[in-house]
Amino acid sequence: MRLFGTFILLALLLSVPDLAIAQGLPSGDALASQNLRGYTHMFIAYSIAWFLVIGWVISIARRLGRVERALND
Amino acid sequence: MSSRIRWSGAVLGVLGIATTLVLHWMVFFWVPTERTMGVVQRIFYIHVPAAWVAFMAFGIVAICSAMYLWLKDERLDMAAASAAEGGMLFTTIVLLTGPLWGRVAWGTWWTWEPRLTLTLLLWFIYLGYFLVRSSTENPQRGKRFAAVVGIVGALDIPLIHISVQWFRSLHPAPVVMRPDGPSLHPDMLATLFVGLGASTLVFFSFFLFRYGLERMEQALAHREMVAEAAPRPEGVTS
Repeated sequence: MRLFGTFILLALLLSVPDLAIAQGLPSGDALASQNLRGYTHMFIAYSIAWFLVIGWVISIARRLGRVERALND
Repeated sequence: MSSRIRWSGAVLGVLGIATTLVLHWMVFFWVPTERTMGVVQRIFYIHVPAAWVAFMAFGIVAICSAMYLWLKDERLDMAAASAAEGGMLFTTIVLLTGPLWGRVAWGTWWTWEPRLTLTLLLWFIYLGYFLVRSSTENPQRGKRFAAVVGIVGALDIPLIHISVQWFRSLHPAPVVMRPDGPSLHPDMLATLFVGLGASTLVFFSFFLFRYGLERMEQALAHREMVAEAAPRPEGVTS
């Protein structure tokens, strides 16, 4: 289950820049350069949000598991 | 955790994930690219919903904290603590995604302009909320102090909102909550609303699970307290 989750997460993270670039870069070196930086920043921003949210989910799940085990003992 | 909380959290979580997937499709394939900032403007669809959820969470903290001080109902304190944790998470997202956008749009990662400074202050206020909760020997007193911090901290939220009108700011004036209606392109507005819906659903799903966890932790603490208070057989020491 954990391996499957990791695979899904990696697939999502790796696909984000491809999805964005799939829309096509505009012509012009300067604009392309600015857009490339924009894509990078956008990718990092969405990755950070995903990592933080997934991290919080894992944190809650672990704490829930620990308390449930303690209550069942 | 009660099955009602678990099921409600799960349903909201599934809806939240589905809406988030729709949001990602809209952001990467559907919504038009903003003319002056280019693709980096698409951070808007995660930055603004995160800010909305953070402010809503801290509003919940303030209301629950005020009612806790009045009614002394432990469930209100647990709800406030759960919302505060979610609020911290989404404020962190706001504070990390904003500079990534600002670096391209403004040419700087950070500047001490009013909205950024007040948002950072909000993050520290709620860090203080958790520090106060855990730093007193008497848990009830810690909860009361934290409730006061939660109420006072929420006063920062309207200041953040109106700071762009009161002070000189790099942030643009509001583009949605305007007296004459939103100035955004309709497709951008639709994407923003899907983002707001997705982050709200995700937040309430996590909030319910976090609230359930808080109740279970309290049940465990109560059981341990009862076990300690129970008379021990003679000759047995702890």
